[in-house]
Amino acid sequence: MNNKYITRVIKYAILQLIAVMFVILWLFPLYAMIVGGFKSNMEAASAPILLLPRQFSTEAYYFDWFGFGTLVGLEFPMIRQLLITIPVALASVILGSMGAYFFYMQMERRPWISNVGFSIISLATFLPAQTLTVPLIELTSSLGIYQTYWGLAFAYFIFYLPMSALLMSIFLPVVPNYLVESARLDGARDWSIFWHVIFPLVLPGFLSTLIFVFLMVWQDFFTPLIIATKPSLYMLPVAARQYVGGYAILYNRSFAAGVITSLVPLIIFAFLGRYFIRGLAALGGGAKGI
Amino acid sequence: MVRQSLIMAIPTLFFGGIIVFLLIWNFVISLENWSLFNPFPKFTGLLSYLYLFTQNFFYASIEHTILFTVGLVAIGNILGLLLAALLYFLPNNTQRAIYLSIFIYPIAIPPTATALVWLWLFNPQIGIDWLLSKLYLPSIPWFATPLNTQLALVLVEVWAYTGLAVLFYLASFLSVDRSIIEAARLDGASSMNLLFRVLLPNSMNGFIITTALLFLFSFRIFDIPFIMSGSATSPTLMTLVTYIYYLFAYSEYFSVAAALATLVAVIAAIVIIPYALLGLKRWVFRR
Repeated sequence: MNNKYITRVIKYAILQLIAVMFVILWLFPLYAMIVGGFKSNMEAASAPILLLPRQFSTEAYYFDWFGFGTLVGLEFPMIRQLLITIPVALASVILGSMGAYFFYMQMERRPWISNVGFSIISLATFLPAQTLTVPLIELTSSLGIYQTYWGLAFAYFIFYLPMSALLMSIFLPVVPNYLVESARLDGARDWSIFWHVIFPLVLPGFLSTLIFVFLMVWQDFFTPLIIATKPSLYMLPVAARQYVGGYAILYNRSFAAGVITSLVPLIIFAFLGRYFIRGLAALGGGAKGI
Repeated sequence: MVRQSLIMAIPTLFFGGIIVFLLIWNFVISLENWSLFNPFPKFTGLLSYLYLFTQNFFYASIEHTILFTVGLVAIGNILGLLLAALLYFLPNNTQRAIYLSIFIYPIAIPPTATALVWLWLFNPQIGIDWLLSKLYLPSIPWFATPLNTQLALVLVEVWAYTGLAVLFYLASFLSVDRSIIEAARLDGASSMNLLFRVLLPNSMNGFIITTALLFLFSFRIFDIPFIMSGSATSPTLMTLVTYIYYLFAYSEYFSVAAALATLVAVIAAIVIIPYALLGLKRWVFRR
């Protein structure tokens, strides 16, 4: 009996040890990024990147934030990113959930409509955005919105409004059908059924979708790369790319650029990570149990 | 009544319709001979496709895409499965939740930051190799040959996307009926037996979801190779999607870019639509 107890303790210790080892491995890049940004330029270039800085310096952040010479500072890209990403994500999710409601309502009566709709929104969610490069630029330039904020928002909507609709169609079926039917018998119309019956019940799903879509729009590199190529329109991921410079003179500065780009996502993940994970789980049909 | 819900769906239908419209437009462009020096294109049939098939970059980018995709799907599935099992056997729920979020956080941070940090971690003097030499392990020449560079990219992908696999395997393990597990435990099954004989056979959904999503995420990977190699012109890290951008931005043959984009979209759609209709939709609406 005693022997069995000891083997169980040892097994448990090994399990913990392996888990902690992998967790540390996974945190390595984040740690290197944060530490690297606080080093001086010479130290970041020559000292091992996993060591703590000998002298704490915020020079890299000043450099990145205000820019230098032809390098565009990250101050305005950050403001732009916040001002565009938040409304785009919010509008996508609100409008997308209304679309999801429509597909959900057609489920029983006209399954083919909801099948076609479901295929299209899945296609929009998972299709590599690069496949639309040529016609997307053609379309935005013929509408006169190429290289403008409107064009950028338009392109974001093309990819992320259907993505919101897909995630919301995964969250909507938690609402039991009889609630909708009884509201309908009481004479409620779709608009009020959606806002007064369905919406309060899927609020957690709505938040998950909102946070997931917000982070996806935030980290989108390709759309601003092709639609907003002027330095005066740089979005954060595109602007941060200037500071990569493949081992050029930007040693500590490229770490700082990484930190500035991922600051908002990291804060959101730290406080609302649960919602993000639920949004991610929705991509696989809800993944019961998490 | 139906009409009002149809009005509410207009934005979704409009932007979804634009996707379909752009795909069709893309196909039409691919049948023409539109280039920078030929602003008035004519219909030329499959000429752009035939031109594409003569390009060495095309075959190289297919090879790289297969390597990155197969690499991520294989390693991601195996590692994700093992890590999910590890988390499953942890007795503490809070600890499990925290570890799970640590495996998932790379999906939340921008690929720009990922690419930039890993570029430094692969530095032969001060990166991971420094740590390996301190531990008296042989250092790895990350960027020494094209194959090494490509395997390094697979490593970054594994770091970035294995969290997906962990999430879905853990979810399917947790949804296995408790009574089956108790019964196996009573019969004296070891943890290994429990994992391979009970949990795994009941996790078919987890396997399908993980494989489909890892394939799609790695098939569309653009930012990380683009930033790690400096631009879309590097032949070493060129994938099908970076090659589309290369054809568009660095060569003058827009129609060829559209032809390649059509091929890529067809391959993606072959995976996406069955996954959506036979997988996603069935799992969701069966409840």
